[in-house]
Amino acid sequence: MAATVPRHAAPSARDGDPILRAALRHSAGRTLALAAVTTASTGAALLLPAVLGHTLDLLLARRAGDTGRWLLLSTALICVPAVLDALDELLTATTTARTTAWLRRRALGDILAAGPRATARIRAGDLVTRLVGNTAHAATAPATLAGTAAAVAGPLGGIVALGVIDPWLAVAFLAGAPLLALLLRAFARASTDTLTAYQRIQGDIAGRLLEALRGARTIAAAGTAGRERERVLRPLPGLSEHGHRMWRVQGRSTAQAATLVPLLQIAVLAVAGLQLSRDRLSVGDLLAASRYAALATGVGMLVGHLNALVHSRTAARRLAGVRALPPVPYGTRRLPADGAGTLRLRGVRAERGGRAVLRGIDLDLPGGTTLAVVGRSGSGKSVLAELAGRLADPDAGEITLDGVPLRDLTHKELRRAVAYAFARPALLGGTVGGTIAFGSFTPPPAAVTAAARAARADDFVRKLPAGYDTACADAPLSGGEAQRLGLARAFAHAGRLLILDDATSSLDSVTERQVTDALHRHVAAPTRLIIAHRPSTAARADRVAWLDGGRLAGLGTHAHLWREPGYRAVFGE
Amino acid sequence: MILRHGTAFLRQPPHRRALAGLAAWSVVEAAQTFTTGYALARALDDGFLAGRPAAGLAWLAAAAVAVAAGAYGTGRTYRQVAGLAEPLRDALVRRVVARALHDADGAAVSRLTHQVEIARDTFAGLLMVARSFVFTAAGALAGLFLLAPVLLAVVVPPLVLGLALFVLTLRPLARRQEAYLAADEALSQSSDAVCAGLRDVTAGGAERVVEAGTGALVDEGLRTANALARWSVTRVVALAVAGRLPVVPLLLATPWLLDHGVTPGALVGALAYLTQSLLPALQSLVHGLGTSGSRLVVVLRRLTAPASAPDAVPPASCPVPPGGPAVELRGVTFGYGRHAEPVLRGLDLTLPVGGRLAVVGPSGVGKSTLAALVAGLLGPWEGEVRVGGAPARAPGAAARRVLIPQEAYVFSGTLGENLRYLRDDPVGDREVLAAADAVGAAALVRRLGGLAAPLVPDELSAGERQLVALARAYLSPAPVVILDEAACHLDPAAEARAERAFAARPGGSLVVVAHRAGSALRADRVLVMDGPGTAAGTHAELLARSALYRDLMGAGGSDPAGALGDADGVDAVAGPGLAGDGGHVVAHGAVRQVQAARDLADGGAAGGQ
Repeated sequence: MAATVPRHAAPSARDGDPILRAALRHSAGRTLALAAVTTASTGAALLLPAVLGHTLDLLLARRAGDTGRWLLLSTALICVPAVLDALDELLTATTTARTTAWLRRRALGDILAAGPRATARIRAGDLVTRLVGNTAHAATAPATLAGTAAAVAGPLGGIVALGVIDPWLAVAFLAGAPLLALLLRAFARASTDTLTAYQRIQGDIAGRLLEALRGARTIAAAGTAGRERERVLRPLPGLSEHGHRMWRVQGRSTAQAATLVPLLQIAVLAVAGLQLSRDRLSVGDLLAASRYAALATGVGMLVGHLNALVHSRTAARRLAGVRALPPVPYGTRRLPADGAGTLRLRGVRAERGGRAVLRGIDLDLPGGTTLAVVGRSGSGKSVLAELAGRLADPDAGEITLDGVPLRDLTHKELRRAVAYAFARPALLGGTVGGTIAFGSFTPPPAAVTAAARAARADDFVRKLPAGYDTACADAPLSGGEAQRLGLARAFAHAGRLLILDDATSSLDSVTERQVTDALHRHVAAPTRLIIAHRPSTAARADRVAWLDGGRLAGLGTHAHLWREPGYRAVFGE
Repeated sequence: MILRHGTAFLRQPPHRRALAGLAAWSVVEAAQTFTTGYALARALDDGFLAGRPAAGLAWLAAAAVAVAAGAYGTGRTYRQVAGLAEPLRDALVRRVVARALHDADGAAVSRLTHQVEIARDTFAGLLMVARSFVFTAAGALAGLFLLAPVLLAVVVPPLVLGLALFVLTLRPLARRQEAYLAADEALSQSSDAVCAGLRDVTAGGAERVVEAGTGALVDEGLRTANALARWSVTRVVALAVAGRLPVVPLLLATPWLLDHGVTPGALVGALAYLTQSLLPALQSLVHGLGTSGSRLVVVLRRLTAPASAPDAVPPASCPVPPGGPAVELRGVTFGYGRHAEPVLRGLDLTLPVGGRLAVVGPSGVGKSTLAALVAGLLGPWEGEVRVGGAPARAPGAAARRVLIPQEAYVFSGTLGENLRYLRDDPVGDREVLAAADAVGAAALVRRLGGLAAPLVPDELSAGERQLVALARAYLSPAPVVILDEAACHLDPAAEARAERAFAARPGGSLVVVAHRAGSALRADRVLVMDGPGTAAGTHAELLARSALYRDLMGAGGSDPAGALGDADGVDAVAGPGLAGDGGHVVAHGAVRQVQAARDLADGGAAGGQ
C-alpha cells in the first residue's frame, strides 16, 4: 500500500515552506515579540551615533544648558539596547528550542506512524539526521525571520545616516566598498583542494583503524598493538602537513576580510576630516560618521542572515520528506473472543521495487498449528512473514486472522494478537530485561524471566555483569544471544499468532531444538508461522509451505515434500 | 585534570615557541588597535581641527598602514595557532588510536573523525578569541594611556566589573552547556536505536512506548536549552557592562576632562577605542568562551578518558622454561562481572605436548572464553593457566601460543606482510609458500598474484581471510595453536586439511574450538562444555557418557537429523533422504552487536545552531 502512494514529481526548494510556516505559526507570539525587540534595538543603535555626536558637540562647546538632557538620552540609548539585546538573546534561544522540540515530536510521530516502510524511502541513519539535526536547523527560521527587518534596517540606515550627515560620506562609502571588495578578492585563493586532501588522509587513518579493530582479538593475542598503532598512524604526518596548509589559507583569507571594514571606516573618516577642516561638519558629526560607517558594513552580516534562512529552508525540505511518509492506517474492529488464531491468505500479491515478490498466495493456517515456510533466498519468505503480521500490506489479496481482515483491526488488537521474532532483532528497551519486556504492554518480571528461560536466554543473561538490569550498550552480545533475546521478547508478548522470521538461524542445533521444544510446550501463542532454513525445523512443523520465485510450490508435511528433488535442493548448500 | 594536561601540553618546547610566536604577531596586530584611536586623535588635534588637513590625512594614512600591517599579523597568527592546534590533534589522534586498539572499541572511528576535529577547531578558536581579546585590550588601554592617563580611570572600572561578572558565570554556563550537549547526545542515541529498529517497534506495537520515551528526551533537550538560554543572558549583561557602559562615565566626565587638558581628539579617540576595538573583542570573547569553551572541555574529557584496566599481554619474549604439558588448567574459575555467574567453575585440564584437543558445546557456553584464558587474554578469578610450562599471562606468551579467532585479521598491505605478521625474523618466500600450501592456501596465493601482491581486505571472502590467518599462524614460532572457530567459513574438507596441517607441525599442540562435529572426531581428546559443568574424554568415551555430546554429534535423540558421517573431511551436510542439520555443532557468526556510543555532535546535531 505504501508503495502505491505517488511521490512528488520533483523535489522543489519550496517543499519545506509549509513546515516553516507551521513552525512560524507555532511560535507566532514569540516571533512577533522578537521582531519588535530586534527592531527597537536596531532603531536605538541607529539613533545612538547621532545623539552621541550631538552630545559631544554640546560638551565640547560647553553649553551646560541642554547638555543634561542629551547626556540622559545618550545614556538611555546605551542602556536600553543592552536590555533589548538580553531579551533578544533569551527570546531567540527559547523560541528556537521550543520550535526544535515541536518539530522533533512531530517528526518522531510521523516516523513511528509510517513504521518500518519508512526506511524503504529514507535510510535509518538519514532519518536520525533529519529527526535530530535538521529539526534544529529548521527551527532557527522563526528567530531568523524575526531578525530580518532589523538586519536590513541596520546597514541601510547606516548608509542613509551617512548621507544625511554629508552626502560625500555616503559617496565615499559606496564607492569604496565594491572597490575594496574587488581588490581583496583578487588575492583570495581556493582552499577546497587542501580540505579534500585533509579529509582523504583522515579517511585513510580511520580505515586503517577500522581494519585493526576488526582484528582486535588477533592483535591482542599476538601482542602487536604497538606495531598496529604505528601502521594506523603512518599517514598522520601527511594529515598534519595539510592541516598546517589549511591554517595558512585560512589566515590569509581572514586577514583580507579583517582589512575591509577598518579601511572603509578610515576612508569615511578622511572625508569627514576634510569636511571638518572646512567647518562643514562638527567633531560630533565625525564621530557619528565613523559609527555609521561601521553599521553600514553590516551588509556582510545580512548575507550571513540570508544564508541562515537558506539553511533552514533546506533543512525544512528534508523534514517535508519525513512529513510525506504515509502513515499505516488501522481499523476499528476487534477479534472474536473465542478465535483460535486461524490465519488465512487469499490471492496475496506483493511487490517490491516494482517487481512481484509474492504472487497468488492462498494459504490456510488453522488455529493451533505450526507452519514452516521454506524457500531459497529471494523466494519471498520474509515478505510473507511481513504480510502475515501486517508489517506491510499486500498489494493485492486479503489476509484475515480469525475471520477479520488484518487491516480492519485496531492497532492494539492487532499488535497484541501477533508477536514477531527476527533473525537480527533490534534490541530496544534500554536494559536486557527491558528489551524482553519491550512491546505494546509490559509483562511482569516473572513473565520476562520465564520467557527468557523458554528462549534459552536466562543462562547467559545471568552471567552478564548486572543480569537483567545490564544495559544493552554494556552487553556485547553475539548474534545467537541477540536472537535469543528477540525470541524471549516474542514469547513474553505471545498472543494468537507467533511469527519467527529466521529467528533461530544463529543458534546451534541443540539450543534450537530446546527453544522450539519450549515454544511448543510453554508459549501461549496457539498458531505459529516459522520461516526456516534447516530441514530439522521444517520437520518439526505440522506443515510446510514451500515458496519458489514468489509462488507456492508445495504445501504439505516435510516428509511428504522431501520426495521432491526441488524441495531438497532448497536445503542444499 | 584537563587543565593539568593542557598546561603540560603548552609547556613542551615546540609549543612554547608557537605560543611565543603567537604573542609576537599579536603585538603587531595590537599595534593596529593602538593606532585606531591614537591616529584618529592626532588627526583631529594636529590636523583637521588645527586647520592642517594634510597632517590629518597623513595620520589617517598611518592608520591605514597599521591596518594592513595588523592584517598581516593576523594572518601570521594563524600559522602559530596551527603550531599548537595541529600537534594537539596529532596527540589526540594518537591517544584515540591507542585506546581503540587497547579496548577494541568500534565507536573510536567516529571519535577519530568527528570529535577530534571538534576539539581541534574549538581549541584553535578559543586560542584566537582569548589572544585577540588580551592584545586588543592591551593595545586600546595603551592608547588610552598615551592620549590621557586619566582616561583609564574612567574606562577601566566598568571593564573590570563586566569581565568579573563574565568570569563568574563561566562555570555555571559551562554546566548548562554540558547538560544541553548530553541531552542532545542522548536523543541522538535513542533516535538511532528507534530508526534502526522501526520494524521491531511496529511489530511489538510499541509506538506509544517509544513516543513517550524518546519524546521525554526531546523535552529534556528543550529544558536544558531553556536553562542554557537563561544563563546566556548573564553573558549579554556582562558584555553590556564591560563594553557599552564605559561610554557613559566618559561622557559624564567630559567637562572635567576638558578642563584638565584632555583634547577633543583624545575624547573621540577614546570613544573609538571603546566602540570599535574593545566592544567587538569582548563580543567574540564572551560568545566564544561561553559556548566553545565548554564544548572543548566536554570533548576533551571524552577523548582523554582513561582506558580500561590494562589487559594486553606484553609482547616481550623471554626464554621459555622447557618441560611441562602444552596446556594445563588447574581449578580455573572465571566470569564476566562481580555479580555474574561464572562461565567456568573449577576446570582442570591437561593437554600433553603434541596433543590435539577439541572443545565442543552449545553456542554461548563459553568456548571462546576458554580459548581466551588459554591464550592469556583473560586472567582467571581463581586457579592457574599454564602454557608450555609458563603462566599464560607471563611475558613472552606470544612466543608460546598463537590464537586464531573466528574473525580473521587481514590488513591492507602485501599478502607477504600479512603472512609474516607473527614473525619477527626475516622469513624466506619458500617457507612462507610452504606454509600456505600446508594449510591449503596455495591456490589463494596464486589467485592473488603471489606474496608481493597487494591485498585489499574487503575483496577477500570470509573463507579466504581465514586461510590467510591460518597460514600466518602456521608460520608462527609458537608451539601451541588455538583455533577458535578459525575455519568456520571454510568447507569441511578445507577445514580438515588445515587442522591436519597444524596437528602435523613438529612439536605442535592443537586446541580447536569446534565448529563442526568433524573436529571432535579428529581430536584425541574432547572437552564438552555444558554450562559450568564440563566433561572430558575421547570421542568414544563421551558418546557413552555425555547426553549433550551425543546431541551435539547428532547421534541419537529425537532429531530426525540422524547420525553424521563426517569421517575426516566428508561433508556432513544431509544427503538425499536425510534431513540433517549440516552437522553444525555451533552457531555461525558471533556478530558483536555492541552499540556504538553515539559521539558528540554527530550529524551536526549537538551544536543545535
